[in-house]
Amino acid sequence: MNQTEPSFDELKRLLKLKQHEVPPPGYFNDFSDQVVSRIRAGEAGGKQTYVERLEVEAPWLIGFFRIFEARPGLIGGLATGLCLLLVLAVVFDEHSEVASKNSMAVSAPVIPAPDNSVAALAPSTLVAADDNSTGIVAATNPVTSLQPVATLFGQPASGSLFQPVGFTAVGH
Amino acid sequence: MSETAATPDASTPAGMLEGDLVRQARHGDLVAYDELVKRYQERIYATIYHMTANHEDANDLAQDSFIKAFQALKSFRGGSSFYTWLYRIAVNKTINFLKQRRNKHHFSLNDLDFNTEHNPDLVALISHKTPLREAGLTELQNKLNEALMKLSEPHRMVVVLHDVQGQSHEDIAEIMDCNIGTVRSRLFYARQQLQGYLSEYAKLT
Repeated sequence: MNQTEPSFDELKRLLKLKQHEVPPPGYFNDFSDQVVSRIRAGEAGGKQTYVERLEVEAPWLIGFFRIFEARPGLIGGLATGLCLLLVLAVVFDEHSEVASKNSMAVSAPVIPAPDNSVAALAPSTLVAADDNSTGIVAATNPVTSLQPVATLFGQPASGSLFQPVGFTAVGH
Repeated sequence: MSETAATPDASTPAGMLEGDLVRQARHGDLVAYDELVKRYQERIYATIYHMTANHEDANDLAQDSFIKAFQALKSFRGGSSFYTWLYRIAVNKTINFLKQRRNKHHFSLNDLDFNTEHNPDLVALISHKTPLREAGLTELQNKLNEALMKLSEPHRMVVVLHDVQGQSHEDIAEIMDCNIGTVRSRLFYARQQLQGYLSEYAKLT
């Protein structure tokens, strides 16, 4: 401390009064006996809790937790930050998944669609079927509900697909 | 401070070195541990008492600290002295207790000993030459404890360990697991606070 700072001499003298506060006479005569008898009585045999072990072995960790204890707002902030990180991680993961799928689709080999029946069985080549030529595979999951459209004359329309819909008469 | 000089009769626990007592206590020797308790009971009790301003709480916490130290002796690796390690347990236990009891201070102060009135420093404080002439020692004791209780636990602990118990900055830093700079700054801040709280009762410069 520099010379302009107070010396606190009077305060230090005042604090000496604390040294004169003493426990009742004879208090320490059996203090150690009480401790040892409590240990003998089995209190020492009890298992230490995890927190108690931490206090002895990793006081810095307890000190870290105490920061949150003293400032509860901090734990809220930390929790919010962690949640944001989690959300960002999920969003980033989804984006990267879509991007990788797209890149796979672009690099996938072109599947020729020789006729419409094949196109119906492999609807993933819808684009190719529409223009009755080759196309790009958009997905590899089969959609079996799609069937070739039958015209009035029972001939399948070239390249057209439909999804059958069932109607139920109401009130009859 | 932590090592005790060997007495001629080194075969009795009272004459044994601290290191030997710790070694025996680690193997469950309660006679050796009893001696260790005797050596540090007054300092540990006083630290806790000055932190809590309550004799009953200090008694319970001091006993609990010694019991906990015995339980944890196996994890004591000798990186610091037993005395520092024991202090650390007591300090952590006390601060935890005070945090749970936050703002519920109940004083149970010990009486001032006979020598108080013969201490020239304290006599000077309550002499007619100072504003304290109206205040008796007991009132001063109450005001001092009230002022100490207004400090945060780490600041109070530094004042108690340094200004009341006379520990060095280095020892306090080790006990409180912080660096010496932190100890010094806490001490300075705590003294400033105390000076403000006690300005009515003592003309502090």
